[in-house]
Amino acid sequence: MTTEALSPTRERSPLNNRLRAMLTQENIITLVVAIIVAGAVVVPLAVLFVSSFKVLDPLGWDTTWGFGNYVEMFTDRIIPKAFLNTLIISSGSTILATFLGVSLAWINARTNCPGRDYLEPYNLIPFFLSPFIGAIAWHNLGEPQTGLLNNWVRDIFGVDWALINIDNIYGVIWVTGIFFAPLVYLFVVGSLRRMDPSLEDSARTTGAGLIRTTMTITLPLVMPGILSGAIIVFVTSAGEFGVPFKLSAPYGWETLTTQIFSKAVGDDANHFLGAAMSMALGIITVLLIWIQQRYIAPRSFTTVTGKGFRPNVLDLGPWRWVAFGYNLMFIAVAVVLPIVCLIIVSLHPVWTGKIVWADITTINYVKTLFWWRPDAIAAATNGIVNSLILAFGGASIAMVMALVISYMIHRTKGFGVRMLDFLSVVPIGFPGIVLAMGVLVTYIQTPIYATLWILMLAYITRFFPYGQRNISSIMLAISEELDQSSRMAGASWFTTLWRITIPLLKPGLFAGWILLFIIFLRELSISIILFTTGTETLSVGVYYLTNFENEPLTAALSMAQTVLLLIAIYAFRRFAGREALTA
Amino acid sequence: MSMNADTMDPKVSINHLYKSYGEETAVKDFNLDIAPGEFVTLLGPSGCGKTTTLRCVAGLERPEAGEIRIGTETVVAPEKDIYLFPEHRNIGMVFQSYAVWPHMTVFDNVAYGLRVRRASGAEIKRRTMNALELVGLDQQADRFATKLSGGQRQRVALARAIVYEPEVILFDEPLSNLDAKLREQMRDEIVRLQKEVGITSIFVTHDQSEALVMSDRVVVMDKAVIQQIGDPQDIYANPVNSFVANFIGVTSLLEGKLLSRDGEVCDVEVPGANGHDGLRIQAIGGEGAQAGDKLFLSLRPEDITLHLDKPEGTGHGNVVQGNVIDTIYLGSFLEGRVRVGEHEIGIQIDHYENLTPGQPVYLSFQPEHGLCLTD
Repeated sequence: MTTEALSPTRERSPLNNRLRAMLTQENIITLVVAIIVAGAVVVPLAVLFVSSFKVLDPLGWDTTWGFGNYVEMFTDRIIPKAFLNTLIISSGSTILATFLGVSLAWINARTNCPGRDYLEPYNLIPFFLSPFIGAIAWHNLGEPQTGLLNNWVRDIFGVDWALINIDNIYGVIWVTGIFFAPLVYLFVVGSLRRMDPSLEDSARTTGAGLIRTTMTITLPLVMPGILSGAIIVFVTSAGEFGVPFKLSAPYGWETLTTQIFSKAVGDDANHFLGAAMSMALGIITVLLIWIQQRYIAPRSFTTVTGKGFRPNVLDLGPWRWVAFGYNLMFIAVAVVLPIVCLIIVSLHPVWTGKIVWADITTINYVKTLFWWRPDAIAAATNGIVNSLILAFGGASIAMVMALVISYMIHRTKGFGVRMLDFLSVVPIGFPGIVLAMGVLVTYIQTPIYATLWILMLAYITRFFPYGQRNISSIMLAISEELDQSSRMAGASWFTTLWRITIPLLKPGLFAGWILLFIIFLRELSISIILFTTGTETLSVGVYYLTNFENEPLTAALSMAQTVLLLIAIYAFRRFAGREALTA
Repeated sequence: MSMNADTMDPKVSINHLYKSYGEETAVKDFNLDIAPGEFVTLLGPSGCGKTTTLRCVAGLERPEAGEIRIGTETVVAPEKDIYLFPEHRNIGMVFQSYAVWPHMTVFDNVAYGLRVRRASGAEIKRRTMNALELVGLDQQADRFATKLSGGQRQRVALARAIVYEPEVILFDEPLSNLDAKLREQMRDEIVRLQKEVGITSIFVTHDQSEALVMSDRVVVMDKAVIQQIGDPQDIYANPVNSFVANFIGVTSLLEGKLLSRDGEVCDVEVPGANGHDGLRIQAIGGEGAQAGDKLFLSLRPEDITLHLDKPEGTGHGNVVQGNVIDTIYLGSFLEGRVRVGEHEIGIQIDHYENLTPGQPVYLSFQPEHGLCLTD
């Protein structure tokens, strides 16, 4: 485009011509953006990699180069066990989440279970809430002595033992499993719902019964979705910090993330050992995500032919009430029970495991929310302000960045495009805690350390791909000819962008923005590595309260965060579709 | 090849079939017997109930009333509480969207029905390859279905439906996703294959030319009800009502009044408007109509002769005067519209005429080419 604008009569040497051809606006801009994104994404990971080979001497004064950190990972007393625990937890929650997600998706998409149109939004709520808060709630439900459920069972049945003990790795599997079930659900429900019904009908007319059809046709067709969902759950569970920190680490089951955390902060901090452990975790997750992106996602069968299909609905007969009850149970354990429990606990001055009506108080909310009061707890009140700043600012900056990157990937052909395409997948492969370790070792000696900026940088770097995918999916769907028609009509590139492209992308922009807003509002595993006094976030505030204060205060701030998230979820449902989530 | 359904036991027998979706009646009192080896087409506009009828035969929909028999077995009869699942009906079905399973190879797709029927390995191999050879895809057996073109996919679906030699094969608009050239090619191929294998077929389409070319018998449906059953020539030449006349082929329908009848020949008045004289036309048909009754006069474009000057002499039958509205050049012939009074009459001219809009012309047709229809 730009070369045509040059006057053809102007004389130039051939070399000059070649150079000018390469220095088109497209090439320059895409290259500059690619370099900036690469700086954000690659530099921390590279520094992390290099740092993992720095070995701290026993006195902690100096470092030497070597493989000492990796050796220590295998010889340490705790780390190998943490490794194993992480594998057990990830495998367990993947199995649980996949089972729950697939069965719930099937019930909602393919059976005549009563009220299924109303159930779906509630099935998805755990996806948006913080699993850390879930762990706190379930701790208060299932702790042997003070757990609400255990006390109810003791009161009702007069027994003296505890029904459940949530404080172990099975508790971690339980909470992560139910909170990540919606991820699998989202990956599966679309293809179940939009599958061409004649794919199954033709198996039936060919002579296969219902079960055989399900096993040989339906299930294989949704298998890529199931596998994708399962891998994402495995990776997310492996990088999850809050749940094992609350439920298993204090009781002797450390995980990789809780170990990285204790190496990153605290008195015996050893960033370099932490870097090596982060590398180990990152290599596993990046490998799995690579397999998912490279081999599984492309295998997704295009069973949708663009027609409005009425999916085959199975009449469950009386069993539909069992399905209904099962779905209600899921919503109860994943949403209702945790929230009810948090509300109850938050209204007590101290929590003993029993509701004491005479003691009901709002003091916990006053202390955690009213920042102007002298008895306010700074970590909590800071957390709300900081998280709102990070969520509003971060989501906005990330979406602008996502817009620029998507536009370049799909509408330009500059040098940097392929690099950008690659760079916007890379962060998905690394758990937040791993990237945060990279950011920590990279920027610890720069002025942005100990400011909100380092948090925002890490948030955006880790999560902009989600926004970018939201925009890209729409950009792929809207024809480039819409842009070109505007140019033909005489509008400039910028006018076209402003009047045509951006308005068309509005739904995607908004969905992406709210999604990032929600993610940033509940973010823990990056914040826990990078926060300092004054830059606590909401989840860090919750961490502070649960670690240094008591359960009722923790529950109060947890409820505040949950309410904010629920409002955002409402907005998301109101303005964006389900499709925005699996992007 | 057309067989008379009365002379032998029907392969498929549908009696008093009734199916509705809530308030909406989809199929009403459908009755049809299909002879072994017969190719029957259900033809009608979308929403006429043809696909619903087919899906009732397949067992993919459950009718509210009536009875369907395939071979000697009653497959559905709600009044007798009989309902066989699709897999127990020994049918083959080809869908509009091909429905070729994308996670299987061509071979596995076709072999599926044999594996379900627990055929031996050698048998599966032999019959699958036979079926693939029949549709010309034996070279593609190991390819994944996703790598095939639309026409090839439909061939896979066809082979998959015939490989286990079902009692009857059901086609649910199998050609409508293909482009025009391929559609004709597949159409001929299906007919060839059907004759070769001799399998009883029910074919659903909204395309009248498909129906006319392929079928032994055509069942024309509209608004959930059978309008006419007959072989293609019969349906085209003797439509029973204005819907069938209009839906099959191209026709001009003029509304008029029966004046008198003389044996076969009806004297019809087509009223003029805006001071135009009414037309007096002699035509046939109109059984059961009394003098003064309303009629539709159906005229096929190819039966009308165009004259630039008033034709002299007798033997031209009905002659009317009109003005050219426009003409469309369609390569081998011209299609034109002529205004006669307040009516438009379509004509077809197989030679080049330099007609200008507004030009006065004369149209003539024999009484036996004007068909009176009572509704």
